[in-house]
Amino acid sequence: MFKILLINGLIIGGVYGLIALGYSLIYRASGLMSFAQGDMITLGAYLGLTFYSILRLPFFLSFILTFACAFIVGVLLEKGVIRALLNKSVLPIYIVLATIAISYIIQNATQALFGTTTLRFPQVFSTATLTISGITAQTEAFACLVISLALMFLLHLFMTKTKFGTAMRSAAMDPLAAESCGINTSMSTGITWALAAAIASIAGMLLGPMYGVYTTLGSVVGRKGFAGAVVGGYGNMYGAMVGGIILGLVETFVAGYWTGTYKNLIAYAILILFLFVKPTGIFNEKAIQDV
Amino acid sequence: MLETNNVTINFGGLIAVNNVSIKVQPHKITALIGPNGAGKTTLFNCISGVYKPTSGEVILDGQHLEGKRGFQINAAGIARTYQVINLFWKMSVLENVLVGMNSRLKASFWDSLLSTKKKREEERRIHERAHELLQFVHLDEYADAPAASLSYGKQRLLEIVRGLASDPKVILLDEPAAGMNTAEKAELDILLNKIIEMGVTILVVEHDMKLIMDVSDYIYVLCNGMLLAEGDPDKIQKNPEVIAAYLGGDE
Amino acid sequence: MNILNIQKKLPLIVGLAVLLCALPFLVRFVAGNQYPLLIMCIILIYIIAVSGLDILFGYSGQISLGHAAFFTLGAYTSGLLNIYFNLPLYLTIPAGTILATLIGALLAYPASKLKFHFLSLATVAFGEITYYFLYKSPGGFTRDFKGINVISIGFLGEDYLKWYFFLLAFVVIVLLGKTSLIKSRTGRAFISIRENTHAADGMGINVRKNKIIAFAVSAFLTGLAGALYVHLIKYISPETSMQKQSVLFLTMLLFGGTASIMGTIMGVVCIEVLMEAIRPLQEYQMLFYGVLLLIVIVALPGGIYGGLKNVAQNIRKAALKRLGRNTDNQKKVEKGGEA
Repeated sequence: MFKILLINGLIIGGVYGLIALGYSLIYRASGLMSFAQGDMITLGAYLGLTFYSILRLPFFLSFILTFACAFIVGVLLEKGVIRALLNKSVLPIYIVLATIAISYIIQNATQALFGTTTLRFPQVFSTATLTISGITAQTEAFACLVISLALMFLLHLFMTKTKFGTAMRSAAMDPLAAESCGINTSMSTGITWALAAAIASIAGMLLGPMYGVYTTLGSVVGRKGFAGAVVGGYGNMYGAMVGGIILGLVETFVAGYWTGTYKNLIAYAILILFLFVKPTGIFNEKAIQDV
Repeated sequence: MLETNNVTINFGGLIAVNNVSIKVQPHKITALIGPNGAGKTTLFNCISGVYKPTSGEVILDGQHLEGKRGFQINAAGIARTYQVINLFWKMSVLENVLVGMNSRLKASFWDSLLSTKKKREEERRIHERAHELLQFVHLDEYADAPAASLSYGKQRLLEIVRGLASDPKVILLDEPAAGMNTAEKAELDILLNKIIEMGVTILVVEHDMKLIMDVSDYIYVLCNGMLLAEGDPDKIQKNPEVIAAYLGGDE
Repeated sequence: MNILNIQKKLPLIVGLAVLLCALPFLVRFVAGNQYPLLIMCIILIYIIAVSGLDILFGYSGQISLGHAAFFTLGAYTSGLLNIYFNLPLYLTIPAGTILATLIGALLAYPASKLKFHFLSLATVAFGEITYYFLYKSPGGFTRDFKGINVISIGFLGEDYLKWYFFLLAFVVIVLLGKTSLIKSRTGRAFISIRENTHAADGMGINVRKNKIIAFAVSAFLTGLAGALYVHLIKYISPETSMQKQSVLFLTMLLFGGTASIMGTIMGVVCIEVLMEAIRPLQEYQMLFYGVLLLIVIVALPGGIYGGLKNVAQNIRKAALKRLGRNTDNQKKVEKGGEA
């Protein structure tokens, strides 16, 4: 029982961590939060479904295409809406509200295209289940864990080892100083939003086979990712990963040992608890408090 | 009346203000000068409750203020203006002054909600007082205009009356002459003396040396977070250390 | 001066009162049935709810995406007291309102420390928790997902004409109270916090206390609206506490224009009428909210009331110019206003 819960918690926690990462990246780059982030997950799931199941492309290719499409959507979102509003010097709160509007538009657009029923994401691997050290789970679930951990590691490398990642980090820290060092901050913010969207779309593609694909998939899971980001310390990349995994574990264990009735409540309760009691999160990131 | 005793402010290892003790004499203009980055505004922010001193005391008429929140310090009798103008932009000039009076008002929430006689009388009284204060700085004709519509120099004046509106014992003025033209500076000189006549003590940070030497009664010089010299304007002007600090500083 | 003002406005007030009293009779006569009257009653209730949100968001600058939870809390408390204890309207409505207010104040205590995006998420979480709690309550005392059907008691029954005047009285009192509060030290404190939190603190405003007051007043009004709603509609389900309803309130507020009485009224009337008009397309209701929100944010930041005010100002300015009565003072003020 313990082992199964542990692996399940890690699997879902890995996905939450990916989503949390997206929120933290956006916060670092623009000091904003995007309510549309969850819908990037939905978008990713539907894109994956389209490429893999409808167009019958190989899984790996579908994966790349989904990533690329979401990347473009992210750039468009930042350039077309967020930057446009920032240039009009709209209050940040209105920009956050605009992301809510976009979130509804995406949900309804997917509903118009794919209908309201939950669609099944076809099996990716030939063997349905896999047994590793006595734990049996869906092969997809294991793949999900591997992919999310790998993505986190790749992102870490990208942000710390590449010239571009360093530029992005410096642009987020001090845009003026970065600009004077010859970094194109406008481009780097755009790419940060794009990366956040692309990572979320991968999370959607990973969740698809496990949960099925429906229009509000992302908004539910997206908020859990947000909770994970807060638990870890909002705006901190590593905090987001750790926070997401912790949230996944807590949720799974509470559901397994105690009650599944309030499974969706746990994330909200933890979110409220951290916001009110320890807003700086585990990694002590000082982003949240006002006067 | 207002004094700081060995105040040190430490931002994660960076010492912005180091063991500074100053005494502000009642009904006098005390000035705080020093090169950029000397810690003047940091000390101001500490007195007015934006920062908590790492160690040391801030005392107003025997009352300890260190670590109290901004609104409590305002209620204790210290008003302030800001280096970067911090008005309530969308509120009218008059309303800005009315907000400044907040800590002296008696009407409760229920008075406000039910428009009791107490509230109506108080409102009438403070509206009159606010107009008086605006006349004092010749801003009354703009009373109903949004604060954002004033010229830069007038915004500075509005900040000063907004501070005076709380009937403070001491007002802290952070670079009041910044952005003012020569005529406005001359008016400011007169205004500062009028504020003293009102019975309000002034502590001022300013870069304009002519103004400072003209108006202040006593000067403290800060450099790199430490007190470099103190004395009356004549003494400070002749102090070789001060001259060296200014020539060697980044100004 | 106050009396002079009232005298000047007296014809307007009398005219408005006559219109508001005649309107339901006219509508019933034209429509031939009670349905439009019901919509008018709902509009009145939403005006109270959105006024509450306006105090919080429009005046004190705090965002809430969980306001529907206060609406539902008022409704459920009131409704449950009705079905379990058969209590009359004049007891259940205050009870529902007070509980919503208390919970609002309690939530505001820690929430007043949060920056806006986190406040918005905390309120989303609060809304969702309320939803799950009502959906699957301990022992099922909230009748869970089925919602509750309230028994009609009291003097109003199902006569929507009576309801209209009953609710109209509430709206008038609420709007008078709101105006009085805004034009007081408390209202000025709210606005100063919205405009510049740090300066408000420096000017002697107890920021946290005033944020909590704004939250409590806001929850009071929205809770009151909910408590009235459940007796009018006689049914409430957990769904009403979901984010969708909160966003409806926000859309109404932003569409009409924040920080004004007229904006709230215009926003509620326009959106509610629009929602009735697109009832056949209910599936895409949220799309309408989304598009409307986006349009308002991008093109009409002051809402339709703010937009109309701007137009009126421009017309007056043009007229003044033509008359050559443009005094020096006026010029200065206008120049600054555009900056």
